[in-house]
Amino acid sequence: MRRLALTLAFTAAVCAQSAYAQEDTVSIGIVTAQTGPLAAPGKFQMNGFNLAVEVINGQGGFEVNGKTYKLDLKVYDTRCNAAEGASAMQRLASVDQVPIVLGELCSPVAAAEAPIAQDTQVPLIITVPTAPNLTDEGNPYFFRINANNAQLNRALGAYVQATKAEPLAFIAWNNDAGRGGVNGMKALLPADFEIGYVGYFNVGEVDFSSHIANIRTSGAKAVMLLMDEEPGALAIRQIRDAGLDVQLIGTLAMGSNRFLERLNADYLNGMVQYNALPPNAPLERIKAFSDAYSAKFGEESHGFAAQSYDAVFAAVKAMQAAGSTTEGPKIRDALSALEFEGVIGPISFDDKGQASPPVYVTEWCEGGDRKVIFPPEFAAGCGAG
Amino acid sequence: MATAILEQFINGTMMGSIYVLMALGMVLIYGVMHVLNFAHGVLFMVGGYIAHLFFFNLSGSYPVAILCSMVTLALIGMVLERLVFRSLRDNLRMQIVASLGLILIVQNGVVQLWGPHALQMRPASVDSLVRVGQLSFTVQHFVIIGVVVAAVTTLYLFLRYTRLGTAMRATSQHPEAAVVVGIDPNRVYTITFMIACALAGLGGALLGPLFLIFPQMGDAPMLKALSAIIIGGMGSVPGAIVGGLGIGILESMSTLVIPTDYRDTVVFGVLILMLLVRPWGIFGVRVRGEN
Amino acid sequence: MKATIVALVLLVAGALAPVIFAGQPYALYVLTLALCYAIPAIGLNLLYGYTGLVSLGHMGFAGVGAYTTAVLMKDVGLPFVPSLLAGAAAAGFVGLVVGIPCLRLRSHFFIVVTLAVGMILFTLFNNLDGLTGGAEGLPGIPRPQGFAIGPLEVEFRSLTGFYLLAFTVTTLIFAFQYVLVRSDFGRSLSSVRQDETLAAARGVNVFGHKLMAFVLSAAIAGVGGAMKVLFLRAAAPLSFELQESINLVLMLILGGAGYLIGPIIGAVIFVGLPEFLRIASEMRLIFFGFVLLLLARFAPRGVCGLAEAAYKKRFDREEAVGIAHS
Repeated sequence: MRRLALTLAFTAAVCAQSAYAQEDTVSIGIVTAQTGPLAAPGKFQMNGFNLAVEVINGQGGFEVNGKTYKLDLKVYDTRCNAAEGASAMQRLASVDQVPIVLGELCSPVAAAEAPIAQDTQVPLIITVPTAPNLTDEGNPYFFRINANNAQLNRALGAYVQATKAEPLAFIAWNNDAGRGGVNGMKALLPADFEIGYVGYFNVGEVDFSSHIANIRTSGAKAVMLLMDEEPGALAIRQIRDAGLDVQLIGTLAMGSNRFLERLNADYLNGMVQYNALPPNAPLERIKAFSDAYSAKFGEESHGFAAQSYDAVFAAVKAMQAAGSTTEGPKIRDALSALEFEGVIGPISFDDKGQASPPVYVTEWCEGGDRKVIFPPEFAAGCGAG
Repeated sequence: MATAILEQFINGTMMGSIYVLMALGMVLIYGVMHVLNFAHGVLFMVGGYIAHLFFFNLSGSYPVAILCSMVTLALIGMVLERLVFRSLRDNLRMQIVASLGLILIVQNGVVQLWGPHALQMRPASVDSLVRVGQLSFTVQHFVIIGVVVAAVTTLYLFLRYTRLGTAMRATSQHPEAAVVVGIDPNRVYTITFMIACALAGLGGALLGPLFLIFPQMGDAPMLKALSAIIIGGMGSVPGAIVGGLGIGILESMSTLVIPTDYRDTVVFGVLILMLLVRPWGIFGVRVRGEN
Repeated sequence: MKATIVALVLLVAGALAPVIFAGQPYALYVLTLALCYAIPAIGLNLLYGYTGLVSLGHMGFAGVGAYTTAVLMKDVGLPFVPSLLAGAAAAGFVGLVVGIPCLRLRSHFFIVVTLAVGMILFTLFNNLDGLTGGAEGLPGIPRPQGFAIGPLEVEFRSLTGFYLLAFTVTTLIFAFQYVLVRSDFGRSLSSVRQDETLAAARGVNVFGHKLMAFVLSAAIAGVGGAMKVLFLRAAAPLSFELQESINLVLMLILGGAGYLIGPIIGAVIFVGLPEFLRIASEMRLIFFGFVLLLLARFAPRGVCGLAEAAYKKRFDREEAVGIAHS
């Protein structure tokens, strides 16, 4: 019932909005997963986009060539399906005629969207997929603002080697994110580093007992969990309940208070994870974002949201630098040359379209706080992670 | 090594019990009605959601929530049998189309109503741990095994010793003869479907709190349960039990020897093998004229 | 006769599509995608519509064709036609390997076997990182090389160019289906579908026919899969998972199994409708679920069946007078 009321209210609001739409608005295209098994990370992506739009419009919009524009999002649910993603991209380019598209969650879908970006000359900035080979195709209209797997693994790899966390076991999603992470880590670590058990599970599987039993048998010292928060919380609970005393290493989804709420401080104590945005880090850009995010959404911020937030700003700044809200090639050139300080750090795209934001490693402390342990120059004590 | 095998064996029986519950429902429907109900997985999932609904919006009593879930699913089963499956009784292909359509409706309907994110439900039985040597389980694990044992026993007694149960068995053996002896097949079919759906709801209500309640939670278990009833023998209740437990244990034990990303392949491989070698299953009866 | 007319109309309309949709690349895009699904649907039609065997794993064969063609074109550098043929052959071969042991199974069991085979193939696409690019997908699949016929430049990189290629391939597959169905082989297939025992009694090699139909339908699916990944220029295991196989069956039933143009109609509706019904995706899937329930109950012969029934009703008297029809 509540949902029905909300849907009606939303429809009314949208209709009301379209009546005003003709006060110059620029629509940015968004591709994401709003339903299906990857809806959870998709939500954070959308939060980041929505927050950015709110901030920009709240400042009165943005100016290009002396004209002020408001920002608006055209969102399509691609459900981690390559054909749907490609169709959405084509539709955004030909029918909705957006100047730029942001988002996507799944690497293979981004791979299908990229050629269309090039054909239709609509730049695509992805904000979450991590497969390194996406930026190897030499597509001038394809950009990635988030760290790819190789960059993420470098941070964790340094930690793993420094703490001699071997044998290292994995529990990973059997999809692009999980498998890519495992392969990347294996490629990064030296040949004599002992990699133990690798436990793959399908998205939607929830019982880790067989993996845990094997991890115990293999005597692993550390377990890397390559999955998102929902299965992550289950896995950690099951691992700790089973009495396994291993060092837990996780993904950025496992570094926020929301994750803490799914479990408790005892379960998480000592766990490390890579993080694109330690929410309490004593950096002005991060604090401002975290405050705004929790004010709007009532919970702690999330790396995916920050990456997406920055992508919107990148889009806007590119349009401003290009002096156009419609000409794809000019916007693309502007993106290529763009340099600015985003929430996740200094943003600048290399000649493959890949940005190099800093990747942090945070660790959970005893009381449920976090500290930053990598990179050394950003290291901060408990409570500042 | 021995402890590892034992541990995986026990892990496997836990998940296997869930497969048994789902398989029981499917085997009843197939045995009595000769309907292959692919929608059983989403009904299982709805059971989890309904239990969650009653748990949080009513007493907060877990047993009551389970009961409500079973009753609701039985009612849904009655509606589905009357409206959808009754008219498709001998048409295998259209049954499949209908059950696939049901899956779309139910799964996406749930997403519309509850959103795409997973729900958590933690009654006391899930939070209390029990240690057995090195291993630890939640009380819920034992609850599941216990309930499944109870359900199986009840079902067996029902089928064997009650009029209705006997009527169901009669109809499954020979529908025309059943009519001759005065059994109303429509009534039997409806009741069968209701019982099967109630079992599915029970399964979802039991499994949901242990892990998470989410729209896809019944998809993989349905495929495993389908494999279970085929391996065990379509139409055989003991077959469903052996098949369900067997698959659960096979899944767990296979992680000891093969790369874990091929776990599903092992189950499907065994399924294919069984179909090639002995398609009527372990406990099934070979029917003359069919291979 | 009337069916031929309908087919010809569709042929002409299809060939002129780039002109009809001149200013609407998105519509042409959706049509191209629909054709990429229509091809495996034609394959499934051969298997289900004409031979009566349901396959719930058919996109697995499409995947075999897709990855074979993709890897040959991208990594080995083979040109389009040999790669496509290799893809079809690979898919057909897998069909042979699966068909020989499995085709003797009864319908329920056969359906489950195809489901299991589809899932195993999906796992292979997903896990064999070195061969298929694995779960991260295989990006950068090249389009077929263009060529020149005299002064005319034919290329396939543009939407129009690829559409015409897809259209040509679909037409060829359709023609193949047409010829096959009208031949003695096709008639024997129909007899197998209607009553196996009777067909065997009349001397039809039931198993041989089923196997041939299965292998051909797998090969055609392979062609479809290859066209799809060439169109998207990226291959992903999830493009060939269980849900996609189920969708293939559903679009065939929607269009009308056992009709020559059934798979094409079904594919166009199934792929096209959601693209134009871009309301909340759950709502359109729920809508689609109801369509399927109604189909199963009232129109098991799909859109073509409904059209035929309507036509028969209207022209009932003329039928009775005995006007020749095909």
